[in-house]
Amino acid sequence: MQNSTESPTASPTRTFAVTRKLREGFFTNLALILITLVALLPIATTVLISFKREEDVTRKPPIIFPCDTPTSRFDLLACRWSIEGYERVALPMPEVGALLGFALKGRMLNTYLPNTVLYAVSTALIVMVLASMSGYAFSRYRFRGHDALMIAIIAITGVPLLTNLLALYQMGASIRHMAEGIYNDRVFIIFVYCGFYLPMSVWIAKGFFDAIPRELEEAALIDGCSPLQGLGRIIMPLAAPGLTAIFLLAFVGVWNEFIAGYLLITKNELKPAMFGMYDFLGQNIINAQVVAAACIIIALPMIVVFLVARNSFFRAMVEGAIKG
Amino acid sequence: MVQTKKARSRRRFDWLPFLLILPTALVLLVVQVYPALYTAVLSVQERQRAGWEFVGLKNFDILLSSRALGESAGHTIIFLVGYASLTLTLAFIVALLLNRKSRLSGVYITALFIPWILADIIAGVVFRLLVLPDYGLFSGILQNPALFPPRGLSVLTADAARPWFGDFPFPPSPAMIYLILAASWRALPFITLLLLAALQTVSNEVIESSRIDGASAWQTIRHITVPLILPTMVVALFNLTLGGINGVGMVFSLTGGGPGTSTTVLSYLLYSIGWGSLDFGRAAALALMLLVINLTLIAGTLRITRVQQRSG
Repeated sequence: MQNSTESPTASPTRTFAVTRKLREGFFTNLALILITLVALLPIATTVLISFKREEDVTRKPPIIFPCDTPTSRFDLLACRWSIEGYERVALPMPEVGALLGFALKGRMLNTYLPNTVLYAVSTALIVMVLASMSGYAFSRYRFRGHDALMIAIIAITGVPLLTNLLALYQMGASIRHMAEGIYNDRVFIIFVYCGFYLPMSVWIAKGFFDAIPRELEEAALIDGCSPLQGLGRIIMPLAAPGLTAIFLLAFVGVWNEFIAGYLLITKNELKPAMFGMYDFLGQNIINAQVVAAACIIIALPMIVVFLVARNSFFRAMVEGAIKG
Repeated sequence: MVQTKKARSRRRFDWLPFLLILPTALVLLVVQVYPALYTAVLSVQERQRAGWEFVGLKNFDILLSSRALGESAGHTIIFLVGYASLTLTLAFIVALLLNRKSRLSGVYITALFIPWILADIIAGVVFRLLVLPDYGLFSGILQNPALFPPRGLSVLTADAARPWFGDFPFPPSPAMIYLILAASWRALPFITLLLLAALQTVSNEVIESSRIDGASAWQTIRHITVPLILPTMVVALFNLTLGGINGVGMVFSLTGGGPGTSTTVLSYLLYSIGWGSLDFGRAAALALMLLVINLTLIAGTLRITRVQQRSG
């Protein structure tokens, strides 16, 4: 009797709860889709602009799609897509003996981007090695000054690159003056970048090492490994995801850095892609399609890296932000 | 086993950790600590023909009595308040939505994160292209006199209104408002991720029991969720403030400090004193003030995270 009275009342509430949940889920998804679209709108428009022709970029009033004809506002068959912007960034010139018969003469592709790749890869490698060494030391050893050093390293994360630029600029100038033959813009800027990304990376590395149980190492030591062998054979493979994250954060950071590369490197041919971008902006006030194409060329590698390795990024960012 | 280990460590000083830390320490001393101290030295000097000359606090004096500093400080305050409050509010809303664990959450987070991976200078260019005078995609709407009387709004060239309170640059120029929007757009993903990580530590039972007790969704958020993730919100706020004070790339590519000086924030002023007027002494004085603000903020963040770790 009890059962029969309860079940009819219970099932409508349950279906009500289910439909409420479904409806909530629908609205949550709708809101998130809208937010995502708005967030990606500026990027989408940049992609659009980069494939337009000059005469479509300089239309008054502006048009979104270059697809209008004298008779209709939008005609898919009449779209005038073009890669003119990309061509003007890359400047392909016919050249005998070059691959595909032409060479890319644009400074962005043959000078600035290779510089950026060099700075980003070297900085990320050095930061990864040094941060894992000190992160390991901080995680595994208790020594005198342990906490003080850790706090000093966090305090250094509070020294922004911006305020150090004046002094670094002066340092660069005097080293150049004193040791003219030895001084090298590239070495100097990589060194500066390393110093800038190390503090945060040490913290992240320590966090990742803390998560690896000590017992594994102790077992290796008992089995006759030296501490360094234990580090190389047991700990490093386990810490690999963390080290990858450190590498990626430094890599993206240097790739995207502008002001230090702009001010601390004296020779234009050694400057990175972000300087190239800034330079482009000054030269192409009207030619938005060229500027947009340059943006896409520089940003696309980072977007790809991010999409491939997004979980590494997320873990390292939360780790670094909450502890550091 | 434990005793022998202890005895051994007492006998022999272990150099290994120090050797492991040494390279990091050296790099940090040369690239971070020394320049920070050197900035302090530069700030009390002036460049003369013959070389640097000690001038005491003259640089600070000139700087503090200059109109440019007060004005840029005002711009920075307006920027920070707008940027931090807008980003934090939006990030909280997005994080609450993402925390509902939709099946597509991963897709949304990935897509929403793409603005974060763009360089600030690229983000500035992207936003600049949207409002280029006459040709930008939004300029068609914004420059329509019917919508923005009397002459339509050209974001990058419109002057700021006459200040309401003395010299304080409020209301901000359209370019400043646009700069705030662009900067928030880029910072939003990271702050959302921080808040989402905090929201995920709030147990469902707490939320559900408050619902059962008859609290509305708003009351639950206001009295349960916000207090529980407050420490993370404060960390996010510090993070935004630090990024906002030091970030300069977007000002470079979006507005160039203008129109006039209406988006010249302190970080851009530092650049224009140092490399525009080549007055390194005065720029160093400004850099030193910014450095002190930065270190204070970091100390604040540390205190909060420490308290959080101890209680959590």
